[in-house]
Amino acid sequence: METKIDTQIPWICDKCHQALVAQKVKVRYLEGNFEVDLLKCPTCHMVFISEDLALGKMLEVEKGLEDK
Amino acid sequence: MTLPSLMHVESLCPICLRKLDAYMYDEDTTTYMHKECEEHGVFKTVVWRGSQLMREWIRTKERAHIPSPITPVDKGCPFDCGLCSSHRQHTCTALIEVTTRCNLNCHFCFADAQESQCEDAPLAQLRFQYESILKASGRCNIQLSGGEPTMRDDLADIVRLGVELGFAFIQVNTNGIRMAKDEAYVKVLKEAGLSSIFLQFDGIEDAVYKKLRGRALFELKCKAIENCHKYGIGVVLVPTIVPKINVDSIGDIIRFGMSKTPTVRGVHFQPVSYFGRIPKAPSDEDRITLPEVMEQICTQTNQMVSMQSMQPPGCENALCSFNGNYLIEEGVLKPVTHRTCCSTKSEKAEEGANKAKAFVARHWSYQTPVKEEKLSDWDKILSAIANNAFSLSGMAFQDAWNVNLERIKDCCIHVSTAEGKLIPFCMYNITTMDGASLYREATRVAQ
Repeated sequence: METKIDTQIPWICDKCHQALVAQKVKVRYLEGNFEVDLLKCPTCHMVFISEDLALGKMLEVEKGLEDK
Repeated sequence: MTLPSLMHVESLCPICLRKLDAYMYDEDTTTYMHKECEEHGVFKTVVWRGSQLMREWIRTKERAHIPSPITPVDKGCPFDCGLCSSHRQHTCTALIEVTTRCNLNCHFCFADAQESQCEDAPLAQLRFQYESILKASGRCNIQLSGGEPTMRDDLADIVRLGVELGFAFIQVNTNGIRMAKDEAYVKVLKEAGLSSIFLQFDGIEDAVYKKLRGRALFELKCKAIENCHKYGIGVVLVPTIVPKINVDSIGDIIRFGMSKTPTVRGVHFQPVSYFGRIPKAPSDEDRITLPEVMEQICTQTNQMVSMQSMQPPGCENALCSFNGNYLIEEGVLKPVTHRTCCSTKSEKAEEGANKAKAFVARHWSYQTPVKEEKLSDWDKILSAIANNAFSLSGMAFQDAWNVNLERIKDCCIHVSTAEGKLIPFCMYNITTMDGASLYREATRVAQ
């Protein structure tokens, strides 16, 4: 299955009906703060995190930061 | 949770190792253990001292069960170790003593170096021990210890044997002398699959080493770290903290470790405990307890490290250790962990053991640095975690004066014996004042 986000076909915010735009977003896990590019609604600022990202790199980062 | 002001536990007599009822109680911010042997009298020992109160540190866990106990329950804890079915935690790290020989003669050594006349165990014997560990505890982390393991020319073969049997994380506990002097030896250890060394590292001044280890060693420690860096072996600095000798070195050790990342993965403090033949019982001034070590870490790093960033363990008993997980950002330790207060939820000991095993393997192994420019944002974070992660931890070993059998039952660091048994680390090392022990073959006391 093709899992990459296709940036040619815009994702639309369900609530605001606006196309999501790629923007630097501040993320925080435990006490770690980072900035990453994510798709975001320009109106309500809701961020889109794909299942792939949540279960892939993002999960790897979470595990890397987790302690005993 | 709150504890009654008097907490009943079980302990041992430091003279005869008879099991005794013991009581822990607070006097201001200090917790003492009080016990009485009908033959040898009353013993009172400090167990916890400082602003972080013991009763607020305790983390409750739902016990784990040993799937295939090796020894039956017969005389009761701690006389049935092996492990028996009363033991409450899985093996996180199994320790194999590969030699009793040593090239130092340290005053504060709990290892078996006095029996230097003993022959080293042959590889076939060590294979049996690895296989026994596998059978009882699965693929846990392995620490090869001694004596000084690098006295053996075939240490790489021992590492390789463990790797072949499927152990993913193998660490050597060493004073670093041979690692400094014999680069080719470090290279073959890496090729054999060594992940990490636990480097005895008591300070950054030779005066400390002369007092504790009998000779100047700082330059050799630096060289050992350099060689590990060259071949990609992770290093954990392990200071034994002794009152009046190197308590003031805590901050310097942390700063030194930070300057050697990513080779140095963290610092693991071990407050001194008292094993072997000693002329008189240690006084409370001869001890430093875990909260005092944590306070010194905060003070000596000018509060760069906060008390709240250090937390009780999820694996072993809460009174055994602390740990904090950080990222180095612009020369400063930024905490990744933050203790939540007033947590009353009970955690599963088994989950704690799994997490601790994974943490140690991930954080104490060497991480290969990657070039940043080619990475995505998320990969950059992963790379930063790998390159800049730094852990601060401490573990208080128990001796015959302060031993608490609740902690023994929760122990996750187990020593493998020649017969293939697994003995909780402190129980293996505890001796009477005359140096007799329950489980060390050469000094075993009759039970």
